[in-house]
Order: sequence, then C-alpha cells, then structure tokens
Amino acid sequence: MALKKPSGSQTALREANRALLFETVRKFGGLTQIELSEATGLSTATVSNLVRQFVEEDVFDTRSTIRSGRRATLVTLRRQLGISIGIFIGKRQLSICAMDFSRTVLSSHTLPLALDHKVDSTLERAILLVEETITALGAPTSEIVGICLCVEAPVNKLTQQVAIPGILRGWENKELRASFSSIFNVPVYVQNSAHMGGLAEARLGSARGVENFIYVHASDGVGAGAFVNGTLLRGVTGLAGEIGHVQVDPLGPICSCGNRGCLNTTVNEERLVSLLNVTHGTMTLDDLIKLANDGDPGCRRIVTDVSVRIAEVTAGLCIALDPKLVVVGGKFAETGDLFIEPFQESLRRLLFPDAMTPIDVLRAQYPDGNQAIGSALFALEKSSLAVSFPTPEVSSSTGTTPSETTAPKKEH
Amino acid sequence: MTSLKKYPLIKFTDVSVTFGFFEALKHVNLSFYRGEILAVVGDNGAGKSTLLKVLAGLYHPDEAGGIEHNGVPCAINTIQESRALGIASVFQDQEFCDNLDVTANLFLGHEMKDEFRRLDVSKMEDEARRVLAQVSSPIGLRKPISTLTKGQSQMLSIARTLLDDPEMILLDEPTASLSVMQTAEVLSYIKKLRASGKAIVFICNTLPDVFAIADRIVVLRHGRINGLHKTSDTSYEQIIAEIAGVDNAAGVMDSLAHSTEEPQMQRFDDQKKLIDRQDSPATETDFVSGSDD
Repeated sequence: MALKKPSGSQTALREANRALLFETVRKFGGLTQIELSEATGLSTATVSNLVRQFVEEDVFDTRSTIRSGRRATLVTLRRQLGISIGIFIGKRQLSICAMDFSRTVLSSHTLPLALDHKVDSTLERAILLVEETITALGAPTSEIVGICLCVEAPVNKLTQQVAIPGILRGWENKELRASFSSIFNVPVYVQNSAHMGGLAEARLGSARGVENFIYVHASDGVGAGAFVNGTLLRGVTGLAGEIGHVQVDPLGPICSCGNRGCLNTTVNEERLVSLLNVTHGTMTLDDLIKLANDGDPGCRRIVTDVSVRIAEVTAGLCIALDPKLVVVGGKFAETGDLFIEPFQESLRRLLFPDAMTPIDVLRAQYPDGNQAIGSALFALEKSSLAVSFPTPEVSSSTGTTPSETTAPKKEH
Repeated sequence: MTSLKKYPLIKFTDVSVTFGFFEALKHVNLSFYRGEILAVVGDNGAGKSTLLKVLAGLYHPDEAGGIEHNGVPCAINTIQESRALGIASVFQDQEFCDNLDVTANLFLGHEMKDEFRRLDVSKMEDEARRVLAQVSSPIGLRKPISTLTKGQSQMLSIARTLLDDPEMILLDEPTASLSVMQTAEVLSYIKKLRASGKAIVFICNTLPDVFAIADRIVVLRHGRINGLHKTSDTSYEQIIAEIAGVDNAAGVMDSLAHSTEEPQMQRFDDQKKLIDRQDSPATETDFVSGSDD
C-alpha cells in the first residue's frame, strides 16, 4: 500500500513511511506494533524496522505488554519524564492538551459544550478527560507535573478566579483549582485564554524569537496578550490586554461586563450573525467563517469590517507598547488574508506613517487551539523540574513544533 | 449552500405510525435541513426511535401522512430506498458479525470488487482506514469485532455511515456508553459533519451533549411533538418540563392530547411505557413518574 505513494526514491519512501509511523504514534498514544501495522498499512517487518530505528534515535520507547492474551510490543513516544496538562475552557468548548518536557504535544482533545455550561459539571468532565488522556498515553497520573487552566474571561491573578462577572456566566468568583489539586496533587494555575494563546505563539508559533509582540485573539469576543521584552504583560490584577472591553461606541449597547459600547458588543457571535439574518437565515459563527472562506460576499464583508474594527483598537495598544509584530488568532484568523490584509492596512493608516519599522501582522500558527497548548507550556515552565532543566531557549532552527510530521529533533 | 438551507431536505407532513391500537407517532409535522443538527429528546416510548426508523425506511407511516424529499413527494419503504435518498443511519446497539474483522464488517453487504469481480481487499482497507482516521479511532482493521469495546464499536458504526457519503445521518444515542474522551471525539466529529453540509438527526438523552451541538431540539411525548426550539432560545428547565409534560404554557399540545384521548388509550400508553422502562436507569423514570399526574 505504501508503494502507491508517489516516491522518487527509496529514501523518499522510507522518509514518508517514517513520517506516517511517527504521526500515527503521536495521534493515538501507545500502540502495539501489530496495531501500528494495521493502522498505517505498512508491513509488520517495515514497522518493526522503523520502530527499531526510532528507538535508536531516542524518539520512541518500546516495552513488552500483553494484548488479547499474546505478547506484544507497545510503542510510545519517548517522553521526558513529566507531563504538563493545559486545559482551555471557553464559552462553547473544553480543550485539553498534554505536553512533555521536550514541548511536544502528546495528545489533545476538544469537547463541545453548551452555552452557559455549569462550573461543577464542566470541571468534572475536565478531570475525567485528563485522567483518560493520561491513561491513553500509557502513563501514570503521578507523572503530571502541573496543570494550567485557562478561561475565556478576565482572571484576577491574585485570587486566581474569574474577575469580572457576566463574561463567562456563572464562573465568576468560583474556586477552580481545588478539585484538580486535590485529585492530582500538583500545582494548578488559572490564566486568561488570550494570554495563553499568546504564550503558545511566543514559544512554538508565529512569534518565535520575537520579544515584543501583541497577540490578538478574534473569535466570539476579542482578547489580547502583550509580550514586552519576552515576558507576558499581566498588569496588577491580571487584566492587561482585555481589548474586548475598550469602548468603541459611547452610545452602543450594554456589554456583558456592565460597561457600554465595548468592542465585544460589536464582535460577538449573536450580533454578527444577526446582520446576516435577512439574507442568510439563522447561522452560527462557524457557518459565517466557512461561507466567507467559500467566497460568500456578505460574509466576507462582515469579516473585513470586524478586522478593521479590531485593528482600530489594537492600534491604540501598538502606540502604547511599540511592538515588532501583531499575531492574529481565533476563528477569524482561519479566513487568512481576508482578515489579515484589512487589519494590516488599518494599522498602517492609524500608526506613524513614516515609522522606521512598520508593524508586521501574522496569522497565528495554531489559530484555534493555542490556548490549551499555551496553558500546558505555562504549567511546564512553572513546574519546579523546569528549573533544573536546560532553559527553554527558543531558536528557530531547533525548536520543535507539535504539528511537525517528521520526528522532532531533540534540543538537548 | 445557504440558498439550499432554507428548503428542507426532508419534510414530514402529518406523519403518523400505528402499531395495532398503539399510535407511536401522531400527526408529526417536521422539516429536516442541510447543515443542521436536530436533536430528538423525549421519555422512553415517546416515539424518538420510531421517528428515526421512518426516515430509515424500517417503519411505514399511515396513508394520510406525506414525506417530501427536496420538495418532491416520496415514499421510504425500504432501507435501500432510504439509502438511495442519501440517508445513513446508526442505531442503538448496532449489530456486527462477531466472526468477521473490522474491515469486513464495515463493508458487509456492499463489498468492493475489482474489475474481475473479485473482492478488492486492499481497496476496502484503504477506504476503511480513511473513514476510521476521520473519527480518529485507533481500531485495528483486522481485529475481530468480538475484541472491541462498546465505545469502539460505537465509533465503528458511525464510521460505517461515511462510506456512502450520505446527505443525512441518523444517530440513535451516539454518546451513550462512551467515555468522556470518546464523547469529545464523537461530538466534535458531528460538528464537522454539520460543517460539511450534512443534515444530522440525533437522539440523545444527555442534555449537556444536546445543548453543546444541536441547532434545534424537538421534544417528543406520547408520539406527539411537544416542543420544537432553537437551542439558543431554550433552557434545560424548559426541555425537561416538556419531556415530562408539566409545562402548561409550552405544552399546549400536550394538554390537548390529554383531553381528546380516551382514558383506555392512556392506560395502554402507560403500559407500553412501563415495558420500555424496565431496562432504563432509575433516575430517568423517577422524575417522569413523579410529574406524570
């Protein structure tokens, strides 16, 4: 079957098979060699050869196990001891990401949630999801070194709770850490999701190696994370970068935060799809993004208008911080240039016309999954083991990204 | 896609299903749209599965009712006719042949042949690998079915619907007996199917899952539609009240049902429900029996 792949040479074929094998193990966690050959379509001999190579290169680990009463060889990604867990809780979804010390994403899952989901049931499902993910990786839960929870709402860094009521309804002033720390017995952190999205882009994504940049998350609501001299700017209470609550229309509708005419009152799902009611009927933000990508003129117009709106607010932040780069993530970033180009254009128009270094605008590398990745990175960097670990120096040549299909190079 | 969205893919007009004296579905008017997830909820014996089985061609509606496909009147008399209309279905406790492996079960009844009419095993395995990768499931292709867990066979039956590239997918309790991780996969996957423009009808009694992905929710009670809501305009409380039949404001249809039916019929209904209830969890029946009066 592998022969069907277009291949120029034996080497190319072997490389393709290696990539396929690596991707399969990464996706499914621990698999036996037999299961690997079934899942990839490679012959058992090829699998066993390639696995042996990978083991020699310190990429895979093997150990004997028993499947259906027979002896089998379980193949897992070789992990640096210790797994950190990142959890993202948004308005409509729960995402989880498990990461090891080489900053390889070992596993990630997303569970859609109901609007206005409840704290207790969501946290319970999050805990179950963590346990199942760890089990699927073939690791004991004692290997978890830290858990970071990020929520799609402003977080008070002193109390580690959702600070402003109304934005993630029902989550404000609730203790979120206790259940995790009592079950897994590890440090638990609570962060803002846009901050964590920025962290993921800073370490593994589009802003690698850039010390001063702003990450803008544009989805159902807008958030931002500003990095100054390589560190995340959080402010006194942790509310830095909440550009979704900058006033854009003094006479506009009342926002969920209690203020009036915030950016989030114009960039939110309900408002945007209501603009399409007459022509398109009922839709969701996902439909809007998809139709915009498919070339629907009405939806494209909305995306460009949103882009200009957000850029106007971001321009203020750029004047305040003078960053090198603006990285755009979130669902709107999935429309690519349709969103990026008007954004860049507006920034150019609103910032100093003869600036020495015009600010670049880039699309996030993980537009809709970087919050959980960032959280896992945060927990990793906070954990005490990280102190004895070589500093997580990021240089573009050796940095490993979770989405790379080839085997990651080891940076140590 | 948007222009098509406004016209129903399948439209039920006054559809009733009768088994002897028992009316399982009574005068149901309902439309199914492309790119929409419709959740069907209701108590045991409310007619949820009957509704799905009419779509799948397993049950036949009474003469009076009509079914339209893309605005053209049609009849769904057999499973083959249903499949020809682009409807694929996954039922509860899907049966597989225990002695065959995963690939053989996926293609059971419509095996792929090469030009000499021989079984094309490698082509089937390629195709099987493609659909299993879509549901991100690590199930081995040559595994005997008997070695799969319940969750795995559930994923397998969902994967099986994808082989024909259907327009409409019917799912009967897709997340029952799945772990949280598998539920996450299945729900995310249903959302992906919706994005590709398929009409999805699913029966589900886990309200958090219903509210997570459904666009519209239809509540059935005693074979009637007791409520039809956009998910964004309704609440858990309202749906539960309508399932149990206690909400008088929203349950006008339900009170009508009570006033027009002979008491004998009512008792028969309850007996049927009792039989259905026997294998259901206690919590579900508790609130129903408490609020039934």
